[in-house]
Amino acid sequence: MNVEILILFINATLVTVISSVVVIAILRKQYLPIIKEMEKEENQEEYTESEEKRINSNL
Amino acid sequence: MAITIFALVLLLYVVVGAFISRYVKNSDDFYTMGGRGSTILIVGTLAATYLSAATLLGIAGQSYKEGPLVIATLGSFGAWLGTLVAVVYMGRKMKALGCKTMPDFFDKRFNSKWVSIIAIIIMIVGLVGYGVIQFIGAGLVLSEITGINFQLLIVLFTIALIAFTAFGGMYGVVVTDTLMFFTMLTISIVIAPIIIGQAGFEQMKGLSETMPNYWTIGGTENRSIGWSISQFLVWIMFFACMPALVSRVFPAKNDFVILKAAIIGVFFAPFMQLTVFIAAGGMQVLQPGITPTDNAMIVGFMEFTPPAVAGVGLAALMASIMSTASTLFVLVGFALSRDLYERLFEKELNEKQSLTAARIGQIIVAVVICAIALARPSAIYWISIYAGSIFAVGWLPTIVASFEWKKMNSKAAMISMLSGVASFLLFGELIRAGVMTLPTGVDELMLALLVSVLSLIGAGLVTKPNAHELNYYTEMKRSSMASITIKEFLKQPNGLQKIKKQYKQLITVSVLFTFISVVVWGYFFIKLGL
Repeated sequence: MNVEILILFINATLVTVISSVVVIAILRKQYLPIIKEMEKEENQEEYTESEEKRINSNL
Repeated sequence: MAITIFALVLLLYVVVGAFISRYVKNSDDFYTMGGRGSTILIVGTLAATYLSAATLLGIAGQSYKEGPLVIATLGSFGAWLGTLVAVVYMGRKMKALGCKTMPDFFDKRFNSKWVSIIAIIIMIVGLVGYGVIQFIGAGLVLSEITGINFQLLIVLFTIALIAFTAFGGMYGVVVTDTLMFFTMLTISIVIAPIIIGQAGFEQMKGLSETMPNYWTIGGTENRSIGWSISQFLVWIMFFACMPALVSRVFPAKNDFVILKAAIIGVFFAPFMQLTVFIAAGGMQVLQPGITPTDNAMIVGFMEFTPPAVAGVGLAALMASIMSTASTLFVLVGFALSRDLYERLFEKELNEKQSLTAARIGQIIVAVVICAIALARPSAIYWISIYAGSIFAVGWLPTIVASFEWKKMNSKAAMISMLSGVASFLLFGELIRAGVMTLPTGVDELMLALLVSVLSLIGAGLVTKPNAHELNYYTEMKRSSMASITIKEFLKQPNGLQKIKKQYKQLITVSVLFTFISVVVWGYFFIKLGL
């Protein structure tokens, strides 16, 4: 096995792996918290609406 | 047949470039295509700009002569990583600040005429020196192959380039770059496999017996590991702040496009280079003794592929020249019309005048560069020795410190840029004159970078940032492409769903391209390394 050829192709693969890891890290740090927060707000709104409907129907 | 295909492809670029000009309605369209760049266009322009004629000629020739691992293993690896830094770190931050050109950043950050002037001079000298020499070198090679007179070829190229830079601006460059990217891709997916197939992996591996060390990092010249590491450092620093690459981010539609382009573009950088370098190794089996070695790949597609494929190969070589030249034309033209004329001379122009000034800037640059290429003054060869690396010593420390250091100010920026460039030229000339020698693996660029960084830190510690610099630093820390993109998406109906869809798409792209690179490079390793 030629170790130096192995290094070449590991580097070629590594650069795509690094770019993917960097992008996923950016997504998790800068996008995921906001997505979760927005989902929470959306769920809260839906819950409030359904609660209002239930109370109205009971009345 | 080959010449006909070559001419038709050149005509196609001109027609597309001229057609695109109808979409350029204002200066925003001209400078950043109105921020409408889709993933395919940003990937196309990034990859086409990355792959210059140097890859297909000089570096392919060195791979043919000394072995495919000599530049690729560490030097090219540095360039691939540098491209990632240019897109994800430099480009994203500058786009978030609303920069349309790189000198825009210096202007916004320091609000100092002198900093802007020094930055613009470094950019013009660096781009012209780096681009014109490739324009001349590759033009000479193409002239030799096609039999078209060199002067006529340069004039034809210039007219074609004016068609999409003066009329289409960044819009024309990005669209034609993408066409050129697909033309260049044929070398990697059609021509290289044909050459490698004819040479045979076993015969290529066998080159080590007739040419000792052919498949090693040191190569047949037995270059030291220090030299390879210095190549890595030089290339990563050069590519990290190369305006040609950083500015590819500015036309992108949103952050998701930039992040997708980062993954896909950084995959194509090694894909397009390594296939060429391995095919150059194949040429050593098929036809040893090609001189000059720079012509190894050209002999490959002219002699070992069908005429139609050879024509596409010639068109791809032309595309690599034109994509480098169009970027050079467009960025230097922008520096003249926007950074110097409109901003530094504080010209109040309406939308129509601004667009006219931008187009005149492009034509002036095209005529001057054409004249330099035709006259070939000896000074341009001297400038080209230093041109590419001038960004690493002149810009890199200042840009990084501007992003990350609160005490950074215009005095430190000026001292760092001037001392970096001056020491780089001084060390280079002393070495060439034989007055100074450096230990193996130490490059004058590293010394100059050290001077630039130390002078920046020293000046930053003894001087203070003014109110504008402090305020802008705070504003800069608050702005991000992510928050801008999220705001834009939430304005649309079903905005949150669209953000989630883009998020999932990006994860898929990451996994998919990691898988593809493991398969592609794993295959080559099994064939060549085991």
